[in-house]
Amino acid sequence: MMILLVEDDPNQLEPLQVALSQVGHIVDGVEDGETARWLMSEKEYDLLILDWMLPSVSGVNLCRQYRQLGKTAPVLMLTAKDTITDKVTGLDAGADDYLVKPVDVIELLARVRALGRRSPLWQGDILSLADLQLHLSSLTLEREQVKIELSSREFQLMEYLMRHPQQVLSRDQIERALWEWGTEPESNAVATLVRRLRQRLETVGAKDWLETIYGMGYRLSNPKGT
Amino acid sequence: MFNRSRRTLAYWFALSMGSILILFAGVSYYRDVQSQLKAFDQVLSQKSKVMATSVQYRLYGGRWWLDLTEVPLLGNNALPLDSELVYARWYTAEGYLVRFAGTPPSQVLTTAPGFQTIQRDRQQALLTPDKWLRQVTLPVFQNEILVGYLQVATPLTTLRTTLAERRLFFALGVPITLGLIGLTGWFLGGIALQPIRGAYDQLQRFTADASHELRAPVAAILSNAQVGLIAPLNDGTQQRQRLENIVTLTKSMGTLLSNLLFLARHEGILTAEVLTKVDLVQLLPPLIEDYTAQAVAQNLQFRSSLPKYPVNLQADPELLQQAIKNLLSNAFKYTPPGGTVHLRLLTQAHRILLQVEDTGMGIPSSDLPHIFERFYRVDTTRSRQTGGFGLGLSIVQQIVQAHQGQVTVTSQVGQGSVFQIELPLK
Repeated sequence: MMILLVEDDPNQLEPLQVALSQVGHIVDGVEDGETARWLMSEKEYDLLILDWMLPSVSGVNLCRQYRQLGKTAPVLMLTAKDTITDKVTGLDAGADDYLVKPVDVIELLARVRALGRRSPLWQGDILSLADLQLHLSSLTLEREQVKIELSSREFQLMEYLMRHPQQVLSRDQIERALWEWGTEPESNAVATLVRRLRQRLETVGAKDWLETIYGMGYRLSNPKGT
Repeated sequence: MFNRSRRTLAYWFALSMGSILILFAGVSYYRDVQSQLKAFDQVLSQKSKVMATSVQYRLYGGRWWLDLTEVPLLGNNALPLDSELVYARWYTAEGYLVRFAGTPPSQVLTTAPGFQTIQRDRQQALLTPDKWLRQVTLPVFQNEILVGYLQVATPLTTLRTTLAERRLFFALGVPITLGLIGLTGWFLGGIALQPIRGAYDQLQRFTADASHELRAPVAAILSNAQVGLIAPLNDGTQQRQRLENIVTLTKSMGTLLSNLLFLARHEGILTAEVLTKVDLVQLLPPLIEDYTAQAVAQNLQFRSSLPKYPVNLQADPELLQQAIKNLLSNAFKYTPPGGTVHLRLLTQAHRILLQVEDTGMGIPSSDLPHIFERFYRVDTTRSRQTGGFGLGLSIVQQIVQAHQGQVTVTSQVGQGSVFQIELPLK
């Protein structure tokens, strides 16, 4: 999932960002409200995780503005405020879930999974293309009883490809979908990642499923079927 | 919550003041009625006395005769006294009616001598427009012999009109005044609750801030530890980084906790047993030495001016040192390299002044009233880098107030700040 994580304390932002990307999410971690506001109007996210107390604009205001933009992705509030009134304010501002700090990372990940399941685009915990299966919860690829665990980066690419089967995806598209905001991928980063993924696909006997269309990009399809 | 207290205050105020007002109005109305009636009765009794003096009792043909001819209203030749009398009657000493003018009375005198208020029934009232009458029955003596009773009556209309006006005044005035009292109560309640509300808001802010400040490092420690546990074990440097993070966070949390405990422990004014005689000129040099070394490291100029003679006062030396340290640390923290920090000790007749002046970034005037509040930080991002919690100045203020002194600040953005501790000399 594409996640926007807004938290002004870098000591809290960094581990959460790491934890979320380790389970295969692409996380834009932002420390200030202004950047967050700009990002949430510019990019499409599958989930927003907002801290309430931010220096310039509060998380609740961000949430309200996000809903006013007409966006429907779930919003999870993180905050040190724990009174009932605070929770009600947060939820009424358009948040879908509310976690009081200190946040247990295991619980946060579970809540993120739960919120992901609520999405209208949710296709189950397993994505399949013919007999190739990608398990979203365990980051494993399976075909003909052979299972292989992917790194989070490989998984992110595989997920993106499996959500857009038979389509030619340009390097640009892949970069935008996979790289966090503000990071500049090296020119051959996509190619390197594709090569690594091909090696993984080879172990399940599906190396030729991922084709390179010269000058255009990459395509994932079942070479035997349609 | 405050509106409810304010309403209750206004309500009780209006209730108590209102009862006093109503009681006062009632008593003053009653007294008014009494005095008006008395004045009225005096006029009536004078009139009847004038009539009584016109009664002539003569010896004629060996018998005493009563001659009423000269009596106004009753007599034949008499001129009317004035038109105000509704009727006049003459009864004999035995109580039998002899003569009357105006409304026909009963044949026998039924009332005792004195004043009465009479309400006439409708039939009688048809004859005259006045419904209420004041009647006086006056025994008439001549040569100390009771010769008869004179009974006259006059309408109460004028008196009743005056009293009706008075009642109308009260009927309108009392509710209006009650309303005004209610409003005053509401207003006064607002004024009375203002400082309480301020203190309450400050406490609320403090708890909210404290919960945020205490939770933030716990949250960071927890997620760092958990992510460390989840991460693959082979990545040693990452693991180490996380552990280092946890150590830093725990240390800063320790500082925060000791600051908070310090604030909680040293609340209120210090008792005489804790205070010892302290010579500031002896107390300061070790501090100055420490900071001179730090100034060199930070490329700052640190100057100090102390008097040549001892400056003694009753104080807790450790607390006082802590306060001065906090001010100096702040000055050092917010003064750029090349700047100057100046510590001054001045003595005056009844007080000493300790000034810490810097040529730092200064404090915006909008922040100045708040800087002594707990957890108040002029710039959150900046203090995160410098590791401040916004408690240093609160601690200074608390220490100085515990010594019955006060701490003040003047500052100009870009020019620098002067913090001044003022302590009484005793």
